[in-house]
Amino acid sequence: MIRLGLRLSLNGGREAFARLVVTALGVALGVCLLLASLAAMNGVNAQDARAAWLNTQPGSQPTTNASRPISPLWWLASKDEFEGQVINRIDVAATGPRSPVPPGLSRVPSAGGYYVSPALGKLLRETPAAELGNRFPGHEVGTIGTAGVPNPGALIVVVGHTAGQLSKFPGVGEVTSFATSGFGSRQFLIVLFVGALALLFPVLVFLATATRLAAARREQRFAAMRLVGATPRQVSVIAGVETTVAAIAGVISGFVLFVILQPALQHVSITGVPFAPGDLSLSAFDVLLVALGVPVAAALSSRVALRRVVASPLGVSRRVTSPAPRPTRLVPLIAGLVWLAVFVLFGKSDSNVVIYVYFVGFLLLMGGLVLAGPWLVDVGARAITRRTNRVDVLLAGRRLSDDPRTAFRSISGLVLGLFLASLASGIVTTIIADKGAPAGGRVAVDTLVAVFGKPNSRSVEAQFSIPALPSWLTGELASIKGVRGVTVVYWDPRAPFGPALVPCAELARTPALGRCAPGASVGRIDLRSSQANGLTQRSTLADQTWPAVGIPLQRLAGYPVEEVVVGTDGSPAAIEGARTKLEVAIPAHDYFQWPMTMGEILPSTAQSLAEAKNVTDVIIVASLIIAGCSLAVGVVAGVSDRKRPFSLLRLTGVPVAMLRRIVALEAALPLLVAAVASAGFGLLGAELFLRAQLSVSLRWLGGLYTFVVLAGVVVSLGLIALTLPIVERITGPEVARNE
Amino acid sequence: MTADHLPQAASGDGCILEAREAALSFGETPALRGASVSVARGEILAVMGPSGSGKSTLLHCLAGILVPDSGEIWFAGRRIDTLQEQERSALRRDRFGFVFQFGQLVPELSAEENVALPLLLGGMRRTQAIAEARSWFERLGLDGMEHHRSGEMSGGQAQRVALARGLVARPEVLFADEPTGSLDSLTGELVMELLTAAARQQGTTVVLVTHEPRVAAYADREVIVRDGTVTALDRAAR
Amino acid sequence: MSVPLTLLGLLDREPSHGYDLKREYDSYFGRGKPLPFGQVYSTLGRLARDGKVLPGEVEPGAGPERKRYAITEVGRDEVETWLSQPIEPEPHLQTELFAKVVLSLMLGRSAELYLDVQRSAHLQRMRELTELKRNGAVVDALLADHSLFHLEADLRWIDLTAARLGVLAEVVRS
Repeated sequence: MIRLGLRLSLNGGREAFARLVVTALGVALGVCLLLASLAAMNGVNAQDARAAWLNTQPGSQPTTNASRPISPLWWLASKDEFEGQVINRIDVAATGPRSPVPPGLSRVPSAGGYYVSPALGKLLRETPAAELGNRFPGHEVGTIGTAGVPNPGALIVVVGHTAGQLSKFPGVGEVTSFATSGFGSRQFLIVLFVGALALLFPVLVFLATATRLAAARREQRFAAMRLVGATPRQVSVIAGVETTVAAIAGVISGFVLFVILQPALQHVSITGVPFAPGDLSLSAFDVLLVALGVPVAAALSSRVALRRVVASPLGVSRRVTSPAPRPTRLVPLIAGLVWLAVFVLFGKSDSNVVIYVYFVGFLLLMGGLVLAGPWLVDVGARAITRRTNRVDVLLAGRRLSDDPRTAFRSISGLVLGLFLASLASGIVTTIIADKGAPAGGRVAVDTLVAVFGKPNSRSVEAQFSIPALPSWLTGELASIKGVRGVTVVYWDPRAPFGPALVPCAELARTPALGRCAPGASVGRIDLRSSQANGLTQRSTLADQTWPAVGIPLQRLAGYPVEEVVVGTDGSPAAIEGARTKLEVAIPAHDYFQWPMTMGEILPSTAQSLAEAKNVTDVIIVASLIIAGCSLAVGVVAGVSDRKRPFSLLRLTGVPVAMLRRIVALEAALPLLVAAVASAGFGLLGAELFLRAQLSVSLRWLGGLYTFVVLAGVVVSLGLIALTLPIVERITGPEVARNE
Repeated sequence: MTADHLPQAASGDGCILEAREAALSFGETPALRGASVSVARGEILAVMGPSGSGKSTLLHCLAGILVPDSGEIWFAGRRIDTLQEQERSALRRDRFGFVFQFGQLVPELSAEENVALPLLLGGMRRTQAIAEARSWFERLGLDGMEHHRSGEMSGGQAQRVALARGLVARPEVLFADEPTGSLDSLTGELVMELLTAAARQQGTTVVLVTHEPRVAAYADREVIVRDGTVTALDRAAR
Repeated sequence: MSVPLTLLGLLDREPSHGYDLKREYDSYFGRGKPLPFGQVYSTLGRLARDGKVLPGEVEPGAGPERKRYAITEVGRDEVETWLSQPIEPEPHLQTELFAKVVLSLMLGRSAELYLDVQRSAHLQRMRELTELKRNGAVVDALLADHSLFHLEADLRWIDLTAARLGVLAEVVRS
C-alpha cells in the first residue's frame, strides 16, 4: 500500500505533482517560521539570562548558610543616558575576599576603577572625556566578558568603591548572588508567541488552498479505489503517504531554508537590540519537535480531510451553491467597535486590567473582520455586477458572490496581518509622535532636565530639593559650547507640594518650560501636574505662560533648588557635556531624576510597544507575502476547476486576455476590499483606543507604514499576475477534445 | 469508380466554407491527412466517422480554431487559415456559433445570462441582451428555466440552453461537435429537431460532427471522415 | 404483419361493417398501401368460417355486403393470446448484404466502395424517415423510429464489416 501511495504521489500526473510541490513549499515555509520563532525565543531567553544580573534586587537574596559565609557585595544600580542610548551603571563595593563577582568580571573592582562592556569601551575611546568619561570616577581597569553582556551593543559600567563609601549612599543594598532570570521579557515572549501564531495562520491558509489544487480529481481517484474494493484503511494509508511525502520534503526544505536565513535573522532586532551570534540556536528538543511533529500533523490532517471519501465510496456529490453569508456576520465587528467606543465615553483608566479589556475589544474587531469578510466580499461583488455591461466584471463578480467564503479564505491571513499592523502602528506612532515632538518642538528635545530630591526622606524639603548648587556649576554649564541657557527652578517653602519658583530672565533662555507673564521677574511654575500625566510629560509646557509672583529675585537665590534645566542647540557635545558636568558635580543619590532630555523620557509602556511594533512589522511583511502566495495558488486552483467552460469559451472566440482579466479580477477585488477594510478597522481601533486612554487623536502614520502596506498589496497583486500565463496554458484547445 | 473526387456541395457557387487538402498533426500523430470538404450556404452538413478519425479536428480547422499544417481553409471567399489568432478569434466571436457535447455553460451564470453571453461580448447592453436571450427560452421549451444555473438543469435542458447561446447572435455558421453525445435518444432527437428547425429558420449553415447515424439523419448531407481524410461518396451511384 | 389478427383486433373494439373496418385499417396500419376490399371480405369470410366472428343481419340499403360483423368469444381469446405474446425476434441475417460483400471479395471488386454506397443509401433513407417524423403524426413517427433503429443497426454492421474486410478477404480467397 505504501509503495502504491508513493507511486501515485510522485507519478500521479502533472496536477498531483504540482499539488505535492506546492504543499511541500507551504510546509517548508511553516517549518522555517516555526524554527525561526523557536530560535528567536531561545535568543530572547539567552539575552534575558545574560541581562538578568543587571536587575538584581538587593535585599531579596536568601540568607546564606553559615557553613560557607559569603561576604556580601554592596550594590547600587542606576541608568544613565548617552545620545539616546541607555547606560546601565552598577556601583559596587566588596566587603570581603569572598564577595560575589558579577558575571563577566574577573574580580570586583576596587575604588578608583571600573569595568566597561566592549561597546562602552569603544564609545569612551571615541568621545571626549568631558562628555562621557568624566562621569565615572577612576579609570578603566578591564572589559566585561560575554557572560555579562546581554547583547553586542550593550553599554554597561561597573564602578568600584570602598565599602565604607558606598554603604552610605541612599538606595544601596547588599547582594549575595545575582539574578539569573529576568521578568521584563516575559511579556515579550508572549508577544513573540502570539506573533508566531499569527504568522502560522496564513501558512495554514496557504496549505489549505494548496490542497484544493486538483482536489476534485484526487477525491474521484480515491472514490474509484473504494469502489473497486479498497478498504477505508488502505485508502487512508495512501492518502497519508501522499501528504507525508510532501510534509517530509517540506520539513527538509524548511530546515535548509532556516539555515540559510539564520545569519539574516540575527540582525532583525526584535527586542530592540540585535542578538549575539549563537543566540539564535535550536535545542535538540526543538529540532525533534518540528522534524517529527510536522509530518505527523500533516498525516493526521489529511486523514481528517479525506474522511468523507474514505467513508463513502461514492465520493463527493456535486457541490451545491452554498447559501449567501448573512448580514449577522457583521455583529462581532460592530460589537467590537461599540465596545471600544464605550471606553471613549468612560474615559481613561489607569489600572492594568484595562489592557485586557482593550484586548477583548481588539479581539472582537479581529474576529469580526474574519467573520464579516465573506459578507463584505459578497456585497461588494453584487454591487459591481448589478449594472455592469462588461463580461469580465460580470463573470468575476458572479463567481465571487457564488462562493465568497473560499475567495475570502485565501486572504484571511492578510486581513489579520494588516489589521494588527495598522492597529499597532497607529497606536505606537501616535504615542511616539506625541511624546517625541512636544509642543515645544525641537527645543524641548534639546533641553536637558535634572530633578533633585530623595522620595524616602523624612523632611519635605529634602523630598523635593537639595539645599544649593555648587556655586561654579551654572557658570561652567553656561560656558559649554552649544549651551543656550541655564535655568534653576527653586522650591517654594510656602507651597511645599505646590508650584515652584523660577527667575524669568533665565526662563526666557530655556523656552521649553514656557515663559513668564510679561513684565514679571519671578514666576510661579507648575511642573508636578504635568509630571503626573505620564505620557505627555512636559510636552505641553512650552505653551504655558506662568503668572508672576511677588517675591524679590534676590531672595530666590537662597531657596532650595528643585530642578536645573539646560537649554542647548542639540549638539551631542552640548547635551552630553552638560550631562556629564551635572553628574560629576552632584552626587547620584541627590537626583530624583538623572539629567535627561525631554526626548529621552520614554515611558515604559511606549518602549515595550515600540519593541512589539518591530515584531508586527515583520508580521506584516511576512503575512502579506504568504497571502500573496495563497492568492496565487487559489487563482490556479480556480482556473483548473473551470478548465472546460473556459477553454470552450476560448474556442467560441473569447480572447485569452479576457479570461486573464476575469481571473485577475476575481483575486484582486477581494484583496483590495480586504486590504482597505482591515487597514481601516485597524486604524479605527487605534483611534478609539487613543481617544479613550490618552485623549489624543490618531496621527498621520507616515511613510514607513504606508510604504509597507502599499508594497505588500503590490507584491500580492504581482504574485497574482505571475499566475496569469497559466490561464492560457490550462485552457488550450486540447481540453475541448471529446476523445 | 474512383474514391477520391471532391465531395461537392449541392450548388457549387453558394459555397460558404471550404477545406482544401487540410493536413494537421499533433506532434507525431497525424490527425488530418489532406481532408477536403465544401459546405454550401444554408445547408446542414453532417461530418461522420469513427472515434479518432479526425472529424473534430476537421471541425476545428473549419472554424478557425486550429490552423492546419498545410492546405487551405476558406470562409465567405476569404482564406482564414492565414489569419492571426486574434483575427480568427474575432471571426469566431462575430460570425460563428458553437455547440459542444457538454460543459460549455459557465456555472456561475444563470441560463439567460449564458445565452446572452455572445451578445454581451459583442458590446450589446445588458438589458437588451437579456431580453433577446429570453426570447429563445419559450421557443426551445425552456420556460421558467431563465434563472436556473447549469448545475440545476438536466442534460437536455443544458444542451438546449447551449443551442440558444450558439444561435442567439445570428451566426453565419453554427458548429456543433457531438451536441447530443451525452444525451439519451429521445432528448437527443428533441435537441436535433430544435437545432435544425432554428437553423433553417435563420438561414444558418450548420456543420455537425457526430458518429450517430440517427443524428446525422437530421442533416441535408453527410461526409465520412476516415483516417484523417474525407471519403468520397458518389451519391449518384445508387 | 398479420391481416386477419389485426382485423380481429379491430372488431374486438366494436362490431362494424367491412367498409368501416377497411377504412380503419388503412388509416392506422395501411402506410400508403391500402387494403384491397377483396382481401377484407375474404379474410372476414375465413374468420367467420373459423368461428371467430359472427356475421350479423344483412341491413337494408345500397351496397352489396352491408353485413355487420361481431367478434365471438373464440375470437376474443385469440386476440388476447396474440396481444400477450412476443413476436419472433427475427435474427435479420441480412443475407443479401452479406452475399454481396462476400461475392465482391471473391470477384476481386472493391467491397469497401460497395459498403460506402450502401451506407449512403441507408443514410438517405434515414433522412427521408426523419423528415417524415418531423411532419407526420405521432403514429407515423413511431413507425419511422422503428425503421430508423433498424437502419442504424444495419449501419453498425456495415461499419464493423468494413473494419473486418481484410480478414474476411483472406478467408474468402483461400
